[in-house]
Amino acid sequence: MTTTTLSTSPALPRLDWPFLIAAVLGTAALVALVTLDGHPASAALVVLGFALGVAFLKAEFSFTAAWRRFLTKGEAGGLLAVLLLIAVAALVIVPVAALVPGFGGAIAPIGPSLVIGAFVFGVGMQLANGCGSGTLYTAGGGSGRMLIALALFIVGSVIGSLHLPVFLALGGVDPILASAYFGPWGGLAVTLASIAAVALVVALIAQVRNATFKPRPLIVIGAIVIGALSIGVFLAGHHPWSVTFGFTVWGAKLAALAGFDFSGAAFWQWPGPKRALAESTLSDTSSLTNLGMILGAMAAAAATKPFAHTPWPPARSLIAAAIGGLLMGWGARIGFGCNIGAFVGGVASGSLHGWVWFAAALGGCAIGIRLRPLFGLSRE
Amino acid sequence: MRLVYALILMAGLAAVVADHLASPSSARAVSPEDFAGACALRRAVPVGAEEITLSSS
Repeated sequence: MTTTTLSTSPALPRLDWPFLIAAVLGTAALVALVTLDGHPASAALVVLGFALGVAFLKAEFSFTAAWRRFLTKGEAGGLLAVLLLIAVAALVIVPVAALVPGFGGAIAPIGPSLVIGAFVFGVGMQLANGCGSGTLYTAGGGSGRMLIALALFIVGSVIGSLHLPVFLALGGVDPILASAYFGPWGGLAVTLASIAAVALVVALIAQVRNATFKPRPLIVIGAIVIGALSIGVFLAGHHPWSVTFGFTVWGAKLAALAGFDFSGAAFWQWPGPKRALAESTLSDTSSLTNLGMILGAMAAAAATKPFAHTPWPPARSLIAAAIGGLLMGWGARIGFGCNIGAFVGGVASGSLHGWVWFAAALGGCAIGIRLRPLFGLSRE
Repeated sequence: MRLVYALILMAGLAAVVADHLASPSSARAVSPEDFAGACALRRAVPVGAEEITLSSS
């Protein structure tokens, strides 16, 4: 007589075919549209955005949670992973932006506009529980809460675009770029040294607070992959990866469709924004990667579980998401970008404004964390 | 929530396609210089490059 042992194999992931197919077909359609127009670099940006969406979702890479854990508990693993991501990106961005014609870094003046915008953004990212890239991949990944944050992010960024000229008029210091002072390779060395110095300070603070500063392996892999993909975005778009300008363009196009006249708005008369508003959404690099990222996160989520099957969160949480989205949108426009465009892009370009943005946004995060309980959200 | 997502996905993609077909797409996609107009005089000139254009995300 033989006995048979019945074993239960691990449950296979449940594919959500409708959303998986829709995400893949949507991406293919965007790639086809820009390819037919003769813009292979734009197609590459959509594909890179798709890969970023997958990478962020699979690695659960979060700027917001990392900063919150650092501020509340002293845990520095997530923040160190972010610095690793920036260092990877800087290896290519600093020298190429300085040496190769047609390529440029993310640089900005340092003044009240940058500080105020980054601070407000920091408050918003803790209330929304996601930054620019976080909002994109969690909204794409099936979080209805973050869909609301995204919608208000778009509204806030359009309002910010109308206010930006006023804040710029407050003055400031010209952009300070490492490669302008030390050359392409010296600038890279200074940039990497500044990242290492900040990493050391962050690790020391964690040690003093008896908290861990070792990032989880998955986060380290995520940081390296996302850093490599951001290099790809830079090479395809000739500019560091950016997120929030796309939101501003989407909102302005919708507002214009509803009859809003932007001809009297100074921001929308500047060459870049004016062209972005007049031309196809797919002529803007940040829109290309944003759309790819949403669809990539959707595909990754739908490939592993039923998509968007969770119930809506409580109303207070949705209100926090809405307020947070609005603040982030406004702050991103006033402060020259989000974690990606201003912090990652700025520091990886060797621009001092990236560090100033980080410090101001971290201050805003401290306030945002204190406000979270008002909306039923944990401080941790 | 799935229904909301399905509707937003379809509406969003339709809007992007319609906008693309109805709007010019004359050149390679570029990063908009969203404050270059106001900061036209604020320029950084790095070693080995003629000029860097101000831009942001």
